Amino acid sequence: MDSAAHSPQDSPQVVTGTGGTGGMGVFDALVIGGGIAGLQTALDLADQGYSCAVVEKDASIGGAMIRLSKVFPTLDCASCITTPKMAAAAHHEKITLLTCCDVDRLERVNADEDGGSLVATLTQRPRHVDIEACIGCRKCEYACPVLTPDAEQGGFSGRKAIRIPFSNAIPQKAVLDVEHCMLCGKCAEVCPTQAIRYDQKPEQLRLEARAAVLATGFRLSPVADKRQYGLGAIPNVIDSLQMERLLAPHGPYGRVLRPSDGMIPDSIAYVQCAGSRDASMGVGYCSRVCCMYAIKQAMLLSGSLPLADITIYYMDIRAFGKNYEQFYQNAKAMGIEFVKAKVASLDPTEGGAVTVHYEDQTGAGVATREHDLVVLSMGMLPGWQPGQVCPVAIAADGFIDTVAPKTLPSLTAMPGVFVAGAAAGPKDIVDTITEAGGAAMQAAKYLAARAANAGLARTPQARTEKASIQEASHG
Amino acid sequence: MTQAKTERTPGKDAKKDAMKALRAERAQWVGPATAKAAEHKKAQKAIRACLAQASATPPEIAAATGLAPDTTLWLLASMKKFGEVVEADKTGAYYRYALAAQAPESGEG
Repeated sequence: MDSAAHSPQDSPQVVTGTGGTGGMGVFDALVIGGGIAGLQTALDLADQGYSCAVVEKDASIGGAMIRLSKVFPTLDCASCITTPKMAAAAHHEKITLLTCCDVDRLERVNADEDGGSLVATLTQRPRHVDIEACIGCRKCEYACPVLTPDAEQGGFSGRKAIRIPFSNAIPQKAVLDVEHCMLCGKCAEVCPTQAIRYDQKPEQLRLEARAAVLATGFRLSPVADKRQYGLGAIPNVIDSLQMERLLAPHGPYGRVLRPSDGMIPDSIAYVQCAGSRDASMGVGYCSRVCCMYAIKQAMLLSGSLPLADITIYYMDIRAFGKNYEQFYQNAKAMGIEFVKAKVASLDPTEGGAVTVHYEDQTGAGVATREHDLVVLSMGMLPGWQPGQVCPVAIAADGFIDTVAPKTLPSLTAMPGVFVAGAAAGPKDIVDTITEAGGAAMQAAKYLAARAANAGLARTPQARTEKASIQEASHG
Repeated sequence: MTQAKTERTPGKDAKKDAMKALRAERAQWVGPATAKAAEHKKAQKAIRACLAQASATPPEIAAATGLAPDTTLWLLASMKKFGEVVEADKTGAYYRYALAAQAPESGEG
């Protein structure tokens, strides 16, 4: 992470304070969210010469995509696509990454003066590690005696109270959570650079920019919200992101096993629309990606467990993207069973199996079937609620409202504030990256227009011309 | 030598005092974390003792140690992550786990 000093146009400035005194920085654009949408937006803006600050809530950039196993319909490794973008952003001289940050306020100030500025007030949560001193050696992690469920692995294995978030996290710096720390001092004892700071405090940061892009992504609708599916309490009923971890090469078990006892599952079921198109959960919309990720996971399972029966209970299959229908047909040809049915409820069974009660919509009526493992295809909810933080308009579905969804899909009701990716509504990775590029272009246009209106030579081209003129005049 | 020793002591004392103050400040987290660490240490010791006899499947380890099967698997996955345990051969629908020949440095012991 680069937090070195920069100037507004040439190099952004972040003066990080010590002891909670805070810091400030001035940038051309702020990107809220360091997932694939935020990184793509920042890279596209930075490549045009605009300085960007990427504000991420987690301890690493990469968002949901870096936690996936593979992507549909190509079955490319998700990490192989995301990691180079993460590294490119981390090493880009125009991009400053700020992790562990919560946005407290994002507002436009002095709007009557040349459009004013956007000011973001952030709280940077402490890592309890000196980020400059930490070398990411993981000695602290090995020494720590406290194990706690690792959310990065779906909770299926433990992590230490102090740890590097995951193997390809950026920055590769340790983070300690005080809620699980017994303050035994073992991490500090073994740290070769004395980087542990048990008493680190949150810092207030103030960032100023002319434009902002909201790329705050999504979160999965919670399993615990659906009584009929066991409220998250039935063993061997997991959500789709947990299955992503089971399928990932660096997953908790290194293979797909049943979490209740380690059995290799012989029969796996997917329950579609488990968290979408369901008024009882307050999610009336289609999440657009569940059909395809379930098919992708089913295909990957067919590869890793060739003898297993894989069933997908679905209401409709929505394979709308390029090559998606072919992907679906390939899955059927591989022997994955598609049952047109609405799953009514799930029950635990002795021995760890799960009973699926469903209504077969092809006429077979109400039926039940047992599976060793059940995956709920949960839907997408907004990853961030702007609430009082930012006066941007919210649509009826809870996602950020776009004022011209057909012609300018990145435009929000707040001047100079754009939106990219799943922050504006459920969408897949292809659409997210496309939209991020569009948001970057809209933001760049806005920045150029602001500069032109102000009569300032702030566009990269104008800056080059200005530099040439200055060089010529000095020569 | 003596002078150097007396110079270091106040610093060490200050660090100890600071840690003591932090422990008091974070008592609501330190207590449960300590209890959890002790519980896991005991469970991992039992798993190590079981695996020292022979490799075993998670249900076999659970039966031998009295741990719940899901807890056993969770601890095995955690121990595997830190190089203490390795996956061995397969018995029926379960993989067997064994102690790594040379476990790397770990704070669990």
